[in-house]
This record gives sequence, structure tokens and C-alpha cells, in this order.
Amino acid sequence: MIKAYILITTYVGNLKAVLEEMRKLKDIESIAVVAGDYDIIIKAKVKTLEELMELTDKIHEIKGVKRTNTQVIEKEMEVET
Amino acid sequence: MRIRRRYLFYLLAILSSIALSTSATFDSIISANYIKEPWVFCLSFFVLGLIFTILALLFLSLPYKDKKIGSFLDPSFGGIRMIRKEELKYHLIAGLGNAGTTIGYYFIVSRLVEPSIILSFSQLVILYLLLVEAVAENNAPTFAEVQSAMVVTFGAILGSLSLSGNVDLNALLIVLLVINPTWVMFSIGQRKLKILRINGKANDSLNIRLWNLIFTTIFVFIAILFVDKNFVSMSLWAIKNSFEFLLIGVISTFFSVVLFIRAMGIGKASVTQAIRASSVFISIPFFYIAGKFFPITIPTDPLLIILKIIALILVMIGVISFALTEVKAYIFINIKPCYSIAKLSEEILDINGITAVDITAGSYDIIAKVRTRTLGKGYERIVRALENIRGIENFKWQSILKEWEEI
Repeated sequence: MIKAYILITTYVGNLKAVLEEMRKLKDIESIAVVAGDYDIIIKAKVKTLEELMELTDKIHEIKGVKRTNTQVIEKEMEVET
Repeated sequence: MRIRRRYLFYLLAILSSIALSTSATFDSIISANYIKEPWVFCLSFFVLGLIFTILALLFLSLPYKDKKIGSFLDPSFGGIRMIRKEELKYHLIAGLGNAGTTIGYYFIVSRLVEPSIILSFSQLVILYLLLVEAVAENNAPTFAEVQSAMVVTFGAILGSLSLSGNVDLNALLIVLLVINPTWVMFSIGQRKLKILRINGKANDSLNIRLWNLIFTTIFVFIAILFVDKNFVSMSLWAIKNSFEFLLIGVISTFFSVVLFIRAMGIGKASVTQAIRASSVFISIPFFYIAGKFFPITIPTDPLLIILKIIALILVMIGVISFALTEVKAYIFINIKPCYSIAKLSEEILDINGITAVDITAGSYDIIAKVRTRTLGKGYERIVRALENIRGIENFKWQSILKEWEEI
């Protein structure tokens, strides 16, 4: 299983429409609208790198997406308290 | 299904309250009409509860579309299993806690005719939990949390008060010194179990419930032997004679506790308990419906109804203000050359308020997830702590405005 963050920047005025399209996509663990350098952060969960490529491709096809930056997760750690 | 994590938490806690209200209604029907001796009722409930839970978990362990049927109740469920070594101490704490609460409760109801005034003080457990979390988890509550918890607690006390009954100092001490502290043990133990990872996977609420019930039943059984050995055989007769009503109570308690444990895996025990306090009000319509068919006590005094409405408003305000005071964020971190990313990631995970750390390949070395009550607390606890870690080159804070998560 491969997990990755896809950091997305959108064109101004397109955030809501982009978000609606994102929520239709499969293989996504979480979608967050954020304030900062990016507009949307997606955490994806796919079986292969090829599937990750297909997912980022689908995101690129969404009207209003300006740029994506993919961060593949090498190790995940959670608080155990 | 992808929903907001916060909604899932509140959904689980409220569903748990509804199941608890059903259970409380049937408890009243049984104790008022069928099993008059509180200790017999207690033991029969636990014995039938244990048998039902084992059978239910066996059924829920059956496969369905590459999953277990139980995964619909808790996605972490992988089938009925034996207890693990690392779980044992938390099961002992939770089992002793549950048994302590049960024994304290039945001690009071078997000695007081109308214990509802005294038992309403058990709602103070929300504040006990807040205090324990502040100390044990080094997670000091914010002013907003204390304020919300006080509003919910006093609302719940007001809502569960009755105009009859007496205030017995000994009984009050049992509530404050036995029932509430043991309920804290029960809640904290179960929360610890839920967030424990078994073979790298999240623990499931169904097996936690099963093993908690096994330990609790053992402790309660031993305690009842000291009270009166005859209660054991009387309990078995009670199961036979009031099987249908006991079974409904047992099933609703099962769902109530399983959902409660799942909710505690997402949110703090104090907040989960605060939301669950809404069962004081959810149970009112259940009691009115049950009152149409069975002779049970239903509040009809106008003063009491006004008090309950005021209490309901207080609890709702408290719960809503809990929900609105949470800040989440991602932090993107770059590490200086010559420093171990793996070691620094563990150091970052130790910072209070950071709930997850992912080591990544790309523009950033680490992406951390933050969950805190206020932005001010985020600065005091997290930003300051990150600035003190040698090896961090730079970091960027990205506040989450809205989030949906897969459940």
C-alpha cells in the first residue's frame, strides 16, 4: 500500500468547484481545505505508484487546479497515548 | 464513506446515548416489575451480557465480502480474538473500574429508597476526567474546555435531579469517592485500549467490550459472593424468568458501550462523556413510551419539567461549544543535512498536540498533523517546541479550515 500527500493550489474563485470534484475521487483517505501556501491537501492511499500517477492525473484534469505537489509517505507514525 | 471526523465522533457519541437511554428504560422496567433485588439484577445482567457478547462476536466474525460482518460496527474489527499481553494491564484497570462503578451503584440503590438525587452527582465524572487527562496525558484543558465541561456537568446534574428522595452523606461520598473515580478508570482504560495498536493495526471496540465484560463479570461475581451467595442461584432464575427484558437491556448496553469506545478512540474521554450525558434527556421520551405499558415512575411535576428544559439547554450549549473549539493543522517540516529524519520525527511526535507524523519524500521531509483547542495553545505548545528542536531547518504551519476523512 502506498500513501501520499497531494498538495494542491487552485486558481482564485475555483476552490468550491474543485473541492466538489475532489470529493468524487476514489483512493482518498482525507481532504482538507487549508490556509497557507496551498489550498487543498489530499491524503491518498493507492496500491501501486501507477495508481498514484493515475490519481494525480485525474486531479490535474479538474478545471481550476493550478498546481500539484506530491509527497510520497515513507513512514507513518501516530500518537499512542 | 467520507465524512468529517468531528461529525463521526459526535454521531457515535449520540448513538451511544440513544442506546444507553434504551438500556436505562429497560433497567427501570425490570427493576420496578421483575427483579426487585438490585444485586440479583446486577449479576443476571452481567452473566446474560457476557453470553450475548460472546455469541454476538462469533456471529460478527463471519466473513462478508472480504471483511468480517463486525467491520460495519467498527472497521478495525478482524474477528473475535484472545487478549494480548500489552492489553492486559488496561483491561485490569477498565474491568476493576467497571466493577467498582457497578458495585458502588448497586450498594446505593439497595440501601436507599430513592437514590436519584445522589446519583445525579455521578455526572461530575466529566470534571474528574478533565482533571485526569490534564495530569495523566499532560493535556491541560483550555478555559473553553473547562467552561463547556462545567456547563454540561451542571446541566446533566440538573437534568437528572428528582424532587423526591433524600440526601444521604454516606451515599454522596460513595458517588464522589467510589463511583466517579472507578468510572474514570473504566473510561481511561478503554480509551487506552482503543488507541493501542495491535500488530500495527488499530484496536477494535468489539473485542475491547468482550474482554472488559469478562473481567468485570469476574470481579462483580467475587463481590456478590461476599454480599450473599444465594444471589448467584437467584440470578440464574432471574435470567430464566425475565429473559426477554434482560436481553433487550443487554443488547442496547452492548451497542451503547461499543459506540462509546469507538468515540473515545477519536475524541477525549471527557468530551465523549459530556456528549453521552445527553442520555439524561434522550431517555425522557423512552420513559414516557415505556410508562404507557409498564408501571414505572415518570416525572410529571411542572417544576421538574421546567428544570429539565433548562438543563437540556445547558447541555446542548456545552456540547456545541466543545465542538466549535478545535483547531487542526498540518506542519510541513524540512530537516537540516547531517541530522537523522527518523530520530527527529520521534522527537516531533512527542510534542503535545501533534497527533501524527509522516516522513515523506519530496519538497518536505516531514508532514505533521496537529490537533489542539486554540491557536494560542498551538503556538505555546507546538511552535515553541519545534523552534527548540535542533536539526529543523524550517517549518510551515497550514491551518485546516475544513476536513473530510474516510471512515
